[in-house]
Amino acid sequence: MTYASLDQSATTRQYLSFSLTGEQFALPVAQVREIIEFTGLTEIPLLPEFLRGVLNLRGAVVPVVDLAVRFGRGRTGIARRTCVVIVELADSEDMPPLGVLVDAVNEVLTVEPSEIEPAPALVGGIRAEFVEGLIRAETRFVIALDLRQTLSLDDLAALAGLASAPRETQP
Amino acid sequence: MDMDMARDALVQEARELLAAMENALLEIEAEGASPEAINAIFRAAHTIKGSAGLFAFDRIVSFTHIAESMLDRVRNGTLPLDQPLMALLLECSDYIAELVDAIEARREDIEPDPERRARLEDALNALLGEPKAQVATVRQAAPEPAGQVEVESGESVSSDNWHLSLRFSQDVLRHGMDPMSFLRYLGTLGRIVHIVTLPDAMPAADEFDAESCYLGFEIDFASEVDRQTIEGVFEFVREDSDIRILPPHGKVAEYISLIGALPEPAGRLGEILVKGGALTSGELETVLARQAAEPVPAKPIGTLLVEQEMVPQAVVAAALTKQKQGEEKRAQEQKFIKVEVNKLDALIDLVGELVIAGAATNLLARKQKDPQFEEVSQALSTLVEQIRDAALTLRMVPIGEVFQRFPRVVRDISRELGKEIQLVVTGADTELDKSMVEKLSDPLMHIVRNAMDHGIESTAARVDAGKPAGGTLRLNAYHESGSIVIEVSDDGKGLDRERILKKGIERGLVQPDQILSDSEVFRLIFEAGFSTAETVTNLSGRGVGMDVVKKNIESLRGEVEILSRAGQGTTVRIRLPLTLAIIDGFQVMVGESTFVIPLELVIECVDVGGHDTRHNIVKLRGEPLPFLRLRELFDLPPADGVRESLVVVQYGQHRAGVVVDRLMGEFQAVIKPLGQLFNQVRGISGSTILGDGRVALILDVPNLIQRASRAQAALAWHGQATTTPEQTGGN
Repeated sequence: MTYASLDQSATTRQYLSFSLTGEQFALPVAQVREIIEFTGLTEIPLLPEFLRGVLNLRGAVVPVVDLAVRFGRGRTGIARRTCVVIVELADSEDMPPLGVLVDAVNEVLTVEPSEIEPAPALVGGIRAEFVEGLIRAETRFVIALDLRQTLSLDDLAALAGLASAPRETQP
Repeated sequence: MDMDMARDALVQEARELLAAMENALLEIEAEGASPEAINAIFRAAHTIKGSAGLFAFDRIVSFTHIAESMLDRVRNGTLPLDQPLMALLLECSDYIAELVDAIEARREDIEPDPERRARLEDALNALLGEPKAQVATVRQAAPEPAGQVEVESGESVSSDNWHLSLRFSQDVLRHGMDPMSFLRYLGTLGRIVHIVTLPDAMPAADEFDAESCYLGFEIDFASEVDRQTIEGVFEFVREDSDIRILPPHGKVAEYISLIGALPEPAGRLGEILVKGGALTSGELETVLARQAAEPVPAKPIGTLLVEQEMVPQAVVAAALTKQKQGEEKRAQEQKFIKVEVNKLDALIDLVGELVIAGAATNLLARKQKDPQFEEVSQALSTLVEQIRDAALTLRMVPIGEVFQRFPRVVRDISRELGKEIQLVVTGADTELDKSMVEKLSDPLMHIVRNAMDHGIESTAARVDAGKPAGGTLRLNAYHESGSIVIEVSDDGKGLDRERILKKGIERGLVQPDQILSDSEVFRLIFEAGFSTAETVTNLSGRGVGMDVVKKNIESLRGEVEILSRAGQGTTVRIRLPLTLAIIDGFQVMVGESTFVIPLELVIECVDVGGHDTRHNIVKLRGEPLPFLRLRELFDLPPADGVRESLVVVQYGQHRAGVVVDRLMGEFQAVIKPLGQLFNQVRGISGSTILGDGRVALILDVPNLIQRASRAQAALAWHGQATTTPEQTGGN
């Protein structure tokens, strides 16, 4: 089942909530392929900080991004509950999965459409286009992310290219 | 229970046969009557009758029998298959289907539609009418004891006749088959020249069984049809009767020449004979069965065939010769098997996984320090390595596949340009990865066109220059230290160094006071847009789309360089890695990061300590070698007290050193592309997975060498400008 079909057919939607820099975020469950414990990754030199590196996912090399850096909140520290959420954003097969570094994974929220509020212009310093909406969960708000925007490949690749622009060796 | 299953099988089979019958009928309706279609109908009806007979489903047997008799008339041509008859046959098949339904419903004792049956039987009998009576008389006449050989025809026996030797089984009449109807049908295929009835098997009168067939026939038969067709006549009695078909003498010669002319390498003797037409596949099966039944050692099939009088000796001999030829040829010829590329790719992916798993085992073995375990894992890695190499060669194809389109291209373009150009191809059997072959075709085409258009001079200019009037274009390929090298050379006028340099300076690609080597100057033509209007192209050289060529080659992890001598010609040399999938890697570490260098590109490793490493140049056995430190290049955290090592790498003609902290040794690396996110990363060409599951980065050696040399060149230029190279710093 593709993300799109789930998106339209179900009236209630499911989100995976996770913590990052002390705040609650959520992703549509349909975009989440799996969650793995953080066991280290390989850093790639000369890349911008939000591209933390790559990891081996059963033989496939998967890039891992640091959302906290993307949101301008500094590097995500590695702790006991640090996880990598493997997400699949594209509808096409040839788009590789991406890993998202999070502080901790919390729960799966089942959300009625009425429980999602449109995002205000700026949520906690995060650009509005990165936010799909705010989920009202009991006493707090959870920020539902629009990962397609946040992790738009073109943007990331352009940023990556910028960071590793020609750099001469220094004797 | 078993009966029920058999009954179901019968119903199933009958339905399939009815479907086949209907198809054949419809085919006849659409395309006219053909013997095959009529035979198919006959066969279907006959088989249904036979199977129903086994179960004593008499209603279906009796009805089908009438239909079959009528079909027999159609088959031997006494009854024309016209429109009303077609309609009748279709209706008959419908009714048989109804009878079959009744059997399925266990109501076989009740006639489903007596009225319809009566009407159909009347119609059939009306058609059969007269001939039916005749059949009856023949039937009674056949088993009649005959005291002497009966000669039916007085015509002389010609040697160009088939000879048929028929010994029907005694039960043939009980099986509902009438030998006479076969002979009559045979008569429709040709002329029965001579028939001898053999009553030898006839018993004494009191042992005589009126329902048994005791007669044999020897027939001389004149016909143009082939052996298969004649055998087809006796299809229904072949199993339990003894049918031998001997070809006319004329045919023997024909078989021999046919067998000799078989285009494909011959396989088994039997197959050769069948292909030549000297034997039908049915006969072959019989003989093979007989061969299997023979006591060990079994007689060769050829001997059996001659003994059974199925194939004349001479034909077998011809087939044997052909078989021998085939075997000899096979030894020389390469055998091919077509395999889908996807399957190959899947295999190579799996081998990649195997390599990774093998590396993990190796690592574990080393950690455990169990000598036996280490030994086993060592043996395993050797095998894995061999499997890897074998799997990769599966994807290797000769570059000739790309080269073969060029003779035509060169011929066409040289006509178009009015130049006399000869193409010389060498090394066409040099192999490279299939995936590269496809991507190589366009760049090569570009280079060849350029060489012909701009490289080779007009005939007049060549003669003036004292060269042969005809130009020569060479395509060459060879392997060199883990790479494949492809060269396109012409014997034209060569590149004009000064013009290119001037153009480069004009375009701001080169500083006016910069000193460039020839190859650096020639490399300028790969710059994008170097060849637009008013460029070098008009004057001397190349340039059209050469930037695209370079890009294409680099996307294959390859390199392209140009060698040229004024007045003597130009060579474009493309260097590509042999494979894109799995390599032997050399593992090095800087701090905590692991990097992999393709082993084929590593020349040696040297301890840096004690060498003068100023200006990023080290003197190695008297030769200066530019080098770079991975730590500085990749901004890795500094480390103290590390004894650095220098890995000397070579790509093409260029060498450079790479300084690392530790050397970890060889291992097999499966190349995993990093994906578009990391396209821009310099100095890294991909990644691989280590035995412990970590990801390591593969160094882009050509890029590193280029950067090291560039740094050196800048330094050298700087040094030259100040004339005191020893005292100038790099920056």
